[in-house]
Amino acid sequence: MEMLVFAGAAVVKITVVMGVVLLTVAFLTLAERKVLSWMQDRMGPMEVGPYGTLQPIADGIKLFFKEDIIPAGANRFLFSLAPILSLVPAFIGFAVVPYGPNREIELFGVTIKPFIITDINIGILYILAFASIGAYGVILGGWASNNKYSLLGGLRSAAQVISYELNIGLAIIGVLILSGSLSMVTIAEKQAGGFWHWNLIGGLQIVAFVVYLISAVAETNRLPFDLPEAESELVAGWMTEYSGMRFAFFFMAEYANMILVSCIASVLFLGGYNAPYPGTLLPDKLSWIEGVAWFTVKVYAFLFLFFWLRATLPRLRYDQLMRFGWKVMLPLALGNIVITSIVVYFVRR
Amino acid sequence: MAVAQWVKTLTFYEILVGMKATITVLIDRIVLRKRKAVTLQYPHEKRALPGTYRGMIALLKYDDDTEKCVGCDLCEAACPSRVITVISSEVEGEPMKRYAKEYYMDMTRCLFCGLCVQACPVDALAMTTEYEWAKYNKRDLRLNKEQLLALGDRNFPVREKKLEFQHPNVAYFNIGHKNLPPKES
Repeated sequence: MEMLVFAGAAVVKITVVMGVVLLTVAFLTLAERKVLSWMQDRMGPMEVGPYGTLQPIADGIKLFFKEDIIPAGANRFLFSLAPILSLVPAFIGFAVVPYGPNREIELFGVTIKPFIITDINIGILYILAFASIGAYGVILGGWASNNKYSLLGGLRSAAQVISYELNIGLAIIGVLILSGSLSMVTIAEKQAGGFWHWNLIGGLQIVAFVVYLISAVAETNRLPFDLPEAESELVAGWMTEYSGMRFAFFFMAEYANMILVSCIASVLFLGGYNAPYPGTLLPDKLSWIEGVAWFTVKVYAFLFLFFWLRATLPRLRYDQLMRFGWKVMLPLALGNIVITSIVVYFVRR
Repeated sequence: MAVAQWVKTLTFYEILVGMKATITVLIDRIVLRKRKAVTLQYPHEKRALPGTYRGMIALLKYDDDTEKCVGCDLCEAACPSRVITVISSEVEGEPMKRYAKEYYMDMTRCLFCGLCVQACPVDALAMTTEYEWAKYNKRDLRLNKEQLLALGDRNFPVREKKLEFQHPNVAYFNIGHKNLPPKES
């Protein structure tokens, strides 16, 4: 019975989270097109539904019914595996993100945490590990397509992900030192009580935050770091040979990665579900609404920043990308670790 | 100087200037409503075309419902894309007068340069403002004389008057044309 309740609760939580994430992914595609068009004096999608609001559904149906093409020279197994390898890690990371306050409710004698699917004590490591697996999808997809553009896109992605994942890992170490834990829940809890307790401001992690943000943009292959996809150079990069649902998988993975990266940024640096003022405005029973709302606001602010950057910046050249990653971001991240460790050492004493 | 440059680099000053530019456009558009999209929602709203727009080519008639075309083949000669095919023939019983027995325009090749209209000595050709001629079958775009005359009727309801002094048995040219080349004196 206990096992059943536990499993049932987990399934419900997973369903809700997956539903919300998939819905957000779908409407992010619309939001991106709309925001970009507003910044460029255009209209964006206007045909399907009022002001084009049903465009994601139309896109989904179109992609679902498109012909599924596997090129003659492609490695069929890896070609089919790559989109799944890209999509699954993008969605699996949401398992350890705390969406609301760390409450516990009793249900038929089983303790359930309603706002996190599972609170594992190495949450952030788990996300980083799976994010790296997502890069395999891109690389394998590029190689298996048997197309020079795909291969170049995949190789670029490999180089880019390796150089920028390093910076992400080093940038968050400052936060980990401050909170003394790898669990996303503990990291968020430690930042409670007003914006001056957030790691960004209270922990003086501004450098780490900027490094993380830039690396996150590079990690998700978004402009201005979209070299693996570079339309003007590589057709569509590693996605050149993909069509139909396989292409949709890559597409969804990109947007899911954006959401995941925004979730991590808001949990690690902006206090996650914590409001920028101490305590909560709503009574204790309903305070979780406020927490979830603040988390949502923070995540969407980051997502808007992604669109904003895309509308503003041109693509970097490849050598600029590598130079920036290794010669600027890496020393900054390392310096941040050293300084944070020294400060924490003396303050804690 | 160098310090200011360093501060600018460290604060991503130039990127922030660019981001300010894009967000200003968005705020002007969405919040302040000062800007409008340059987009024209094409099938729903259409541009006002200038009178000199070079669209589909049409054959014209005189006000007494006779064709203007005298079958001289000059349009065919002027056409750079070999769009036009004229099969010229004598008017029955009037050996001095000719007309286009068959007249074809393959609009798939037409580049709408208007040279045929310029070349026509009797102003029998005109360019309309029609442009929505997408077809499922490209052979539908090979227009015959009837279709071209229908185009002319549709777009130019006011027809030119046939001049009195034009003798029916004499080949004539468009005297009414304003831009005749100067005569050699």
